Amino acid sequence: MSAEVKSETIDLNGKSVLLVSVKNGEAAIGTCSAGHTTNGGGTSTQTRLFYIGNDPIINLICPNHGNNQLDKLVSFCPGFQGYEPKIHDALGNSFKKLNDGDSLAAGLSDIFGLLEDGVYAVYMADYYPTDGSGVFFWGGYNISHEVRGTAERNRVIGPVRTFKPCYLIPTEPLDYFAAKVKVNTDEQVKRRRVQGIVYHLSGFHSVLLKGHHGAVSCIDRDIPFSCAVIEKIATPYTDIIMPEPVSEYMPEEPAPAAEDGETATPAPAPVVTPKPVFVPDGITGFRSPSVKIPLAAFPKDMLRLIIEGRPEYKPRQFDVLIAKLGTTRRKAVSNNVLPYSVLEKSEQMPDCEMIESAYAIDKLSDDELNCLLRGDVEHNGEVIVSPNFYSSIVTACNFLQFSDTKRFVDFSIAIMDNPDLVATHEYVARRAAGQSSNKKLYNFFKSAVDGKEAKYEKIIPIAQTFVNRYNEYVK
Amino acid sequence: MAFSDLKPVCVNDEESGNTYIIGSVFAVYGMIGSEPPLVYSWDMIRMVSVTRREMVIETAGKSYTIINKLFANTEEILRTIAIIECRQKEFSFGYQHEKRMFPLKSMYTECSPGKESYTGEGVLDDGETAAAFIMLLNFKLVKFLWLIALLIMFVTFGILHLFIGITRDNILYFVPISVASGAIVALLVYMITHAAARAKFKKMADADLATRQPITFVVSRAGFAACESCTYEGRDLVPWSEMDYFIESDKMFILYKNNAAAAYIPKKAFEKKFVGGIADIIALSLEQR
Repeated sequence: MSAEVKSETIDLNGKSVLLVSVKNGEAAIGTCSAGHTTNGGGTSTQTRLFYIGNDPIINLICPNHGNNQLDKLVSFCPGFQGYEPKIHDALGNSFKKLNDGDSLAAGLSDIFGLLEDGVYAVYMADYYPTDGSGVFFWGGYNISHEVRGTAERNRVIGPVRTFKPCYLIPTEPLDYFAAKVKVNTDEQVKRRRVQGIVYHLSGFHSVLLKGHHGAVSCIDRDIPFSCAVIEKIATPYTDIIMPEPVSEYMPEEPAPAAEDGETATPAPAPVVTPKPVFVPDGITGFRSPSVKIPLAAFPKDMLRLIIEGRPEYKPRQFDVLIAKLGTTRRKAVSNNVLPYSVLEKSEQMPDCEMIESAYAIDKLSDDELNCLLRGDVEHNGEVIVSPNFYSSIVTACNFLQFSDTKRFVDFSIAIMDNPDLVATHEYVARRAAGQSSNKKLYNFFKSAVDGKEAKYEKIIPIAQTFVNRYNEYVK
Repeated sequence: MAFSDLKPVCVNDEESGNTYIIGSVFAVYGMIGSEPPLVYSWDMIRMVSVTRREMVIETAGKSYTIINKLFANTEEILRTIAIIECRQKEFSFGYQHEKRMFPLKSMYTECSPGKESYTGEGVLDDGETAAAFIMLLNFKLVKFLWLIALLIMFVTFGILHLFIGITRDNILYFVPISVASGAIVALLVYMITHAAARAKFKKMADADLATRQPITFVVSRAGFAACESCTYEGRDLVPWSEMDYFIESDKMFILYKNNAAAAYIPKKAFEKKFVGGIADIIALSLEQR
């Protein structure tokens, strides 16, 4: 039975969202649970696989019984043998069609048929070709390690807000990189509308189905890495409407001024009655990381497809995938190495902590920053970032680093200059040290190193490194 | 999560006009045209009770009763129960059910059975299982039967002495009378409890739909499975750590948890040549009593 693919654009508060439903899909690209495998590290960890065709590509080890608030251990599967020609062609065709000017729905039609049943949100977004910690994505997953930002539910952002995944995981091993191919892609990326096709995997991370060499060229040439994103919509969400205190009595006019010999009677204080919390009966809708769609906004057949969906699809080739998990591919002998400039630029890209903070906070005013500098976590009776002071400083720093470098530098210097906030000094100094060419920071760190005051005790080693690096940079 | 690939079940209640879908979420479609449906994620479910007649799913404000007759077939009921039990493990809502012959699906974890595993299939035999029930009863009863017999013997002897009085002439009659009365009472108790055990099995078998269905049995180093074949996915096992001990009869292995039989694994379900290997795995994994 061939796959039945339907696409529809819906309007969500003025924003249009492209939804694609796949029925009787081939499930040749997707994820599945591999249970507790022998290499999973005990029965409390669950292993998930991202696969393409008969090849397990990415191994996701989910600790603590697959807790969705915990980051995963991610690694490239050693059993990767290479795509089947059919899948390879489908990816290539889609990529070509998109760059020839086709719409997302038309361009990606070949790929949709290869997905598992469900409803997907499809959109364009810029990706950082890193693992979220400053390592270029292609070589970042050779060893299984905990990758920041891979939790399905991000604890900094919280369960209510949406966020756009922006980090990559490769679907090809690093030895597939060829300098000769990069020479061609260096030119091609300048003309491309779409630089890559990605499939959302977990948290902030998506797998790059097509465009590995393009990613190298883009980062090397400082071209934004715009990708066509495919994101499954399956997670139910419920919007609980929190009460706003409403004053039942408000005096319309100010109390009359006191006449001679009389004392003015104070106006009665407004009576504040909180509205009850509104908990709807049933869920509000279904969501993916980047989009929340209320039930009423879904086309009927798409909603039915989500409701009748299974939590997990075991592909037909499941046994083959499991068997390949234990095998190791013979690597190609290659002298091609990623250009140093690519690795260096990856380090400068926003990391996951910054992106998390940017999504967690809408804005931070100067008054709020001053409150934080005084050691307060509240401004005008409202929590600024978090009731936890250390957490507030960390999030505020990361937010500013992502959104406004100048304010970030001023804020970090103010923190490091304040001996009462010594607990946060080391973290802030590490974050600030990322701005390796900033003159203001150089002056501050230089004075800290030269002055050797007790209040700078914790940041001296970082300051020394920064000063040395800055001096080299100037030379 | 075990049993994660189970197809959701759709039940149409013509009387109320509702259509229920039990799967990754619990959805209630009202009369045609009144869409969108009411959809509950499983963390919104307060309580589910499953009886042989119906399933009741309670949310914060509503209660939905799905009569078992509405399901197209027994496989669908069993699949629904499996889905509910798996979600119960994940979301910890209240769950009431009648006594089962096989482990709840919430006890299963998804893992590979490995190379050293034995798989068999079969329908639970009424006679064999009733015999196992009686054997288990005998286990508990045998020591009490001796006590009962002795007690009745002494009591009878005492009564005879009280009312007739023991003399040198009649003591030879009193002793055998006392012994016989003890034995008769013990035999009566034995027969009554056997009848009770058989009735208990019948009641349990009637309540648990799985007892009349083909069951897949898997025994491996990682754990075991005793699950309806229509829901079993091949990679779900109850880890041995979930069980406490086992008793082996000539016909089956009975696995215990918290001093109650949790699974009956008939030897007949496997090829004869494998029974020794299965016994070894179980004996290595659990204490035998």
